[in-house]
Amino acid sequence: MNKLTGQVTLIESSEHMSIVDIDVDGDIFSAIVLETPASAAYLKQGGRVTMLFKETEVSIGKNLSGLVSLRNRFKGTIKLLEKSDILTKVILDYKTKEIISIITTRSAQKLGLIIGDAVEWLVKTNEVFLLKER
Amino acid sequence: MIKLRFKKEMQTPRGKELLDLDLSIPSGEFITVFGESGAGKTTFLRILAGLTQPQEGFIEVDGEIWFDSLNRINRPVQQRKIGVVFQENNLFPHMTVRENLEYSCGDKSALGTIDEWIIAMGLKGLESQKPDKISGGQKQRVALIRALIRQPKVLLLDEPLSDLDMHSRLNLQDEIIKVYQKTRTTTILVSHDLSEVFKLSKKVFVIDHGKITKSGSPQEVFVNNDVSGKFKFTGEIIEIHKDGVINILTLSIGNNVTKVAASDEEIAGLTIGSKVIIAAKAFNPLILSRL
Repeated sequence: MNKLTGQVTLIESSEHMSIVDIDVDGDIFSAIVLETPASAAYLKQGGRVTMLFKETEVSIGKNLSGLVSLRNRFKGTIKLLEKSDILTKVILDYKTKEIISIITTRSAQKLGLIIGDAVEWLVKTNEVFLLKER
Repeated sequence: MIKLRFKKEMQTPRGKELLDLDLSIPSGEFITVFGESGAGKTTFLRILAGLTQPQEGFIEVDGEIWFDSLNRINRPVQQRKIGVVFQENNLFPHMTVRENLEYSCGDKSALGTIDEWIIAMGLKGLESQKPDKISGGQKQRVALIRALIRQPKVLLLDEPLSDLDMHSRLNLQDEIIKVYQKTRTTTILVSHDLSEVFKLSKKVFVIDHGKITKSGSPQEVFVNNDVSGKFKFTGEIIEIHKDGVINILTLSIGNNVTKVAASDEEIAGLTIGSKVIIAAKAFNPLILSRL
């Protein structure tokens, strides 16, 4: 499980859900939740929140061009690769943190991933959990 | 309504501790008392049953006073109208299933209900067997009938399922729910199994070091509502299989068994038997069809 903490900079809500922007050292992340500031105390402009997202929900892009719908797209460097038959674990340096991505070994090979590669990692807004900072 | 408040000094592995409880349980409710071993759960049941006497206190059940230290009232066990099922069934080994049940009937009126109970609990055909010839789950069914046959005011279940294998445990949980729905007997279950607490009771009291530290619905008490995940369940790890860089966890959730993929980091410190909350975003689950 990946974990990052940041500050809520924007909350856009409809009746039952919100899209929340979170600033992590200058990068803006988005998360969508079935909550609104009225139903969840942690949804507060300027408040600190922790984001959780599963390793298997983190995609890796190399030399990405064109448009993608994913709003959470950040730069990282491959620190370690752990290959197994079906899946490969990619450990990335992201700012002062580590982000782990688990992708298929086929994809890892197709992308020709090697340690030291500058890549982008992506996670969909509806895969990001939000909770009060911890 | 059961009203209880009492103080009792307990010997625990940590030394002397005071069990100090004050709680009310509406008649007909199914509640759980949850806590680590040595927290005071069993002492609580023994005091209610009249097997242990508190230093001071008051116990009232449906308007009848069972214990009152000020007025020196202490009803003996036989006059308390309780049924008890313990972790270790204490069926008489030399008696058959039917004889065990007959013995606990006391008066004639209950005798006529034995056959009905035997059929309802799936024990038909085993009436003439001795306890050592039937399974652990079947023994606990007999113990459950024995506890209920005299229509007690309160049913006390002291970890009755903890010695059973997973399959029997899940089956017997269903039986307990069925019997409760049928009789609506006020039931107090002592358990340290979270999935059991979630499945069986609407209300849970958490005891820690002799005090009630939390009470409420299992959801309120155990689920961290700060997490935004809406698809959230409490379960127990049954198996962990490592497959390459990922682990496949088999989990028991309620009466379902499910599998979840997890990274090494996610399961660090977890073992078979660990209680966990699994959560997914509300956007992920597919709705396949109606049953």
